[in-house]
Amino acid sequence: METATDTTVDQSVAISLDHVTKIYRGGGGVYELSLDIAVGEVFGFLGPNGAGKTTTIRLILDLIRPSSGRIRVFGLDSRTDSVAIRRRVGYLPGELALYERLSARQILTHFAHLRGGLDWKKVEHYVEAFDLDVDRPVRSLSRGNRQKVGLVAAMMGDPEFLLLDEPTSGLDPLVQRTVQSEVRRAAREGRTVLLSSHVLSEVGEVADRVGLIREGRLIDIESVAQLQGHAAHLVEVRFRGPTDVQTFISLPGVLSHRVDDRSLHLEVAGDLNPIVALLARYDLEDLSIREPTLEELFMRFYGVSDG
Amino acid sequence: MAFFSLVMLAMFPTIHANASFAKLIEAYPEALRKLFDISNYTTGPGYLRTEVFSFMAPLLITIYAILQGSDLLAGEEERRTIDLLLANPVSRRRVVMEKWLALATGVGALSVVLELLLGLIGPLFRLHLGWRQLSAEVLGTALFGLFGGTLALAWGAWTGARGAARGVAAAVTVAMYLLSALAQLVSALGSFEWASLWYHALGGDPLTTGFHYWHLGVVAMVIGVLLLAATLLFDRRDLTT
Repeated sequence: METATDTTVDQSVAISLDHVTKIYRGGGGVYELSLDIAVGEVFGFLGPNGAGKTTTIRLILDLIRPSSGRIRVFGLDSRTDSVAIRRRVGYLPGELALYERLSARQILTHFAHLRGGLDWKKVEHYVEAFDLDVDRPVRSLSRGNRQKVGLVAAMMGDPEFLLLDEPTSGLDPLVQRTVQSEVRRAAREGRTVLLSSHVLSEVGEVADRVGLIREGRLIDIESVAQLQGHAAHLVEVRFRGPTDVQTFISLPGVLSHRVDDRSLHLEVAGDLNPIVALLARYDLEDLSIREPTLEELFMRFYGVSDG
Repeated sequence: MAFFSLVMLAMFPTIHANASFAKLIEAYPEALRKLFDISNYTTGPGYLRTEVFSFMAPLLITIYAILQGSDLLAGEEERRTIDLLLANPVSRRRVVMEKWLALATGVGALSVVLELLLGLIGPLFRLHLGWRQLSAEVLGTALFGLFGGTLALAWGAWTGARGAARGVAAAVTVAMYLLSALAQLVSALGSFEWASLWYHALGGDPLTTGFHYWHLGVVAMVIGVLLLAATLLFDRRDLTT
């Protein structure tokens, strides 16, 4: 059944959430979510577990229904045109469950059939990219390999819109890179991607814009560049000998510092080169440079703590 | 089920040839004979009705149907595989219909096996049945089982809870069986027997009297209503996370 596309809808918008609220009796849900994602954009949904990312994605797919508000995908209404929408969407669930007794090949063939038949060569591309053994029954696969089955199932039709809920959870770094490169390729081909994560760096790698969601509310939408500008690195260094702490504190970009024992903790925004150059002059016992966790980021910039 | 049917068939010649069995059964209290549907035990149809169709065959087929019916939607929802299935461009109504078709096919296949087993192997044990009568009895059995399975499917479609779907379907089918069985004994229950689909599916001894179309139609209609309800209820609900 072909459904008429609303002519008033901007064709450059892939998905539009308009004051979407979903209230659960037991609490949780999402409130007054409004958001437009452009065609060809990679949008990252960033928030702690239970923030409402999965709820939003399941609302888009009509697996659950909004209490109020409206969702349009390519101009189609999520409630009335769900089948037409799902024809154009590839979905990876956050809590992936597969048919245990089937092999990946059987599952993929079944879904390909439900999608009206797919070119198996396309499927092969993803099977090879993710190095997936398609002939073993799913119940004998590791968590990472199951995730690969889900990823191939979501991506195999080269859908116009990829909805990936925590796509890299359970994957080793090598496969995570494959996911990122496939997401980038989709974007290059003009396809749209919405991916969720609770890890900042993961979203930052691929997304153009990031929506920060917490306790069911969209707090902010920022470009990745902006977000990374905020995202100061946390430098923790332990010296063997005496140190002039003041030289570190006066470096450009150092936002805050703390000294305890022989350790120096610094929060550094922007370029890390000056501090690395300075560190090279000292005898170090230990050094760690890391990104702030999502919680630390929320804490610092939105004045909220992750309850 | 095949094994059970074979054993029952194999025992028939012994019973058929043994006049003392007839006497033994005559000696049972009438209530017992009615409750377990033991009349004409030494004739082919009478024997089969008692041993196969009064309890075991409907029980096995109904258990199969309820397990399947509860698992097809609610089980898939509890295992969370429904999310991936419904990410495909298929409507929920189509999913319910196709799940039900799978259920009906399973029940149908079991029934065909039962029919062929009794109809083809029965004569080897001097148990002669009319195909038409046998088909009527098997169809009644299949429809009763499919009713139980469809009820479980509908309850699962409504609630997403597999265990509850099983419980409800089992309770309703057992209640219907008991109502029908006890109505033979307690005349006061006789006027309520129409409420039991067991009575419509298997009452009136189809193994001797053949098809009772109106009664089978009632069962088919109830199945149809349940399936419609399943479709509508599943369509309007949030799937559990």
